[in-house]
Amino acid sequence: MRIGILTGGGDVPGLNAAIKAVVNRAAEHGHEVIGLRRGWAGLLYVNPDDPASLEEFSQPMDPNWVRTIDRSGGTVLHSSRTHPGKVKASDVPDFLTPPDGAQEPYDFTPHAIDVLEAYGIDVLIPIGGDDTLSYGLRLHQEGVPVIAIPKTMDNDVHGTDYCIGFSTAVTRGVEFIGNLRTSTGSHERIAVVELFGRYSGETSLITAYLAGVDRAVISEVPVDINRLADYLTADRAANPSQYAMVTVSEGAVVEGGEMLLSGEADAYGHRKLGGVGEQVGSMLKEVTGIHIINQTIGYLMRSGSPDSLDLMVANNYAVMATDLAVEGQSGRMVALKGGTYTNVPISMIGEGVKRVDVGEMYDPETYRPNIRHVGGKPMFLY
Amino acid sequence: MSVIGVLTAGGDCPGLNAVIRGLVVRAHENDDEVLGILNGWEGLMEGHVEMLDNHAVEEILPKGGTILGTSRKDPYVHGDGYESVARTLKRNDIDSLVVIGGDGTLRTALRLGEDGANVIGVPKTIDNDISGTDFTFGFDTAVQIVTDAIDRLTTTAEAHNRVILVEVMGRTKGWIATYAGLAGGAQAILIPEVPYDIEQIAALIRRRHRHGKNYSIVVVAEGIEPPEKVTLQKDVFGFDRLGGVAYQLAPVIEELTGYETRVTVLGHLQRGGTPSAFDRVLATRLGAKAADLAAEGQHGTMVAMRNANIVGVPLAEGCAEIRGVDDELFSVAQSFFG
Repeated sequence: MRIGILTGGGDVPGLNAAIKAVVNRAAEHGHEVIGLRRGWAGLLYVNPDDPASLEEFSQPMDPNWVRTIDRSGGTVLHSSRTHPGKVKASDVPDFLTPPDGAQEPYDFTPHAIDVLEAYGIDVLIPIGGDDTLSYGLRLHQEGVPVIAIPKTMDNDVHGTDYCIGFSTAVTRGVEFIGNLRTSTGSHERIAVVELFGRYSGETSLITAYLAGVDRAVISEVPVDINRLADYLTADRAANPSQYAMVTVSEGAVVEGGEMLLSGEADAYGHRKLGGVGEQVGSMLKEVTGIHIINQTIGYLMRSGSPDSLDLMVANNYAVMATDLAVEGQSGRMVALKGGTYTNVPISMIGEGVKRVDVGEMYDPETYRPNIRHVGGKPMFLY
Repeated sequence: MSVIGVLTAGGDCPGLNAVIRGLVVRAHENDDEVLGILNGWEGLMEGHVEMLDNHAVEEILPKGGTILGTSRKDPYVHGDGYESVARTLKRNDIDSLVVIGGDGTLRTALRLGEDGANVIGVPKTIDNDISGTDFTFGFDTAVQIVTDAIDRLTTTAEAHNRVILVEVMGRTKGWIATYAGLAGGAQAILIPEVPYDIEQIAALIRRRHRHGKNYSIVVVAEGIEPPEKVTLQKDVFGFDRLGGVAYQLAPVIEELTGYETRVTVLGHLQRGGTPSAFDRVLATRLGAKAADLAAEGQHGTMVAMRNANIVGVPLAEGCAEIRGVDDELFSVAQSFFG
């Protein structure tokens, strides 16, 4: 059996550990693994009749080749945000022509399936967030055997309690906030720390909760700057070291404002976010007159080596996915449910959204994490 | 027995507490007393002092920040110069005033010395650009933080075939950018002292990517000249969208290379946290030397590292024009561009 594996969307620490574990587990069963480079892009840009392009977008892997890859973050297979089912006219490769009468964006899924056949792939293991896996679901529906592994630093894939990368991202956030305390305290300022987190505020909320930050602004609740300013001024006055800190999700909005987006939308309809931390900082400075330390953690949150928990989950998801693939299953996503490793239909990712339960975990009046009940919740509380 | 007053002024810098500890412990060995002056020059003007015994400096060695606090007040700007600090000095019988601060603070100390105070300077900046000393404490810690960030960002850049611009501190001199860029194996380093040609940088990235390395890290000191013809976007509230020269460079590099370009501004992360081993040792030695200079009555001096020795030099040397990256060092860094 030949197993294909690819990584899509944003990189997170733990991807390489998952790739290594798939290769080793497959080898134990006597199967081979081929890596598809640059996410779904390979399936669009490979010309099955051109051996050079087949080689360019693939990486044969065996246990020796993957021996050391788990020691670093990122992904050795590289990634992209390409969606072969939604291709802009400008992105169509020269050797392809859109189907007659089709509208932009074009669907090149039949071509993608041809490419998988050209590689002789019997079953595909995509590792990605809900965007990447949604195309995995599409291929499953087209008859391609697919076993999905969820990853995202936001932990927002519906159908699983945990996605590879979240623990390391929060660990980084907590660590950097700790390091900012000395500067913020020495100068008696307010620190505004912007964290990744597009439509869901988990990273801001959970990081603030764990780092003991005074206030957290999350994507789900527009913030009233005057109220936030009052709270932070009081927090600072009450702190013997005379400083205060607030985390802000990159997708947060100021009341009366809108999400700060830039650039063109990608194939999944997302534009680049960023800048709300600076905005909140400038406004707080104006209202309070207190000097602000603005810090965006940004890409540093998902950079570097995985922590132990992400190594644990990456290895176990990979082993489970490989076993399902070898058993001949398809359309499954490996998952954690109630603290137990399991698998669910991949279609679950499209059946709901996974967000912070604001009523249960956050006080929108005081902009504070407020974990009302812990019993019965998954390890990371959502 | 004499009395030493000590204050920290200006920005936070890893190793400040190590200097204070080095000074206090050595001073007591010399049978001198140490008074901590709180919140920089402000505390000296307002008479906020506290006795520092060895107990007070226990366990502060690895801690960032400063146990004495700091402020941006200056006796010549916010007071009547020497007159505004003389009362606290006299009332507490302070024989020597040890001032830990950056080049601006040292200039204030020099002026107070000329007006009658017995000052000893300890140079402090993470930027490593103070004249008269080979290294300043805090610099090594900042370089390590930036190097770690470059190592981590390299995997992200590679995963997405991107160019990542890492903006670091350095308004007028590029020491952190040069050291960390060299240590992190960056593909290019842009510093204020050396004019750059953006076309040339783009060509270098394009050539590298053509040869199969599909990602690049460019370290940018915050003080470099921005590229021409850049207009900052305003947000709905009329604030500038994102400051920082790297944000201005990114679209230009993206356009010239055709590669996705992203920005990470390390900002305050560079001066927070716990000092490196090198900075703890350097800071402790500088603090101890300041205590010895005070015991010997060598005022108007500054402690410094010269050729790996800790020495006292005239304070005026530390107040000379700030020091840029030397050509030899930058030429080594340049050998690894691309």
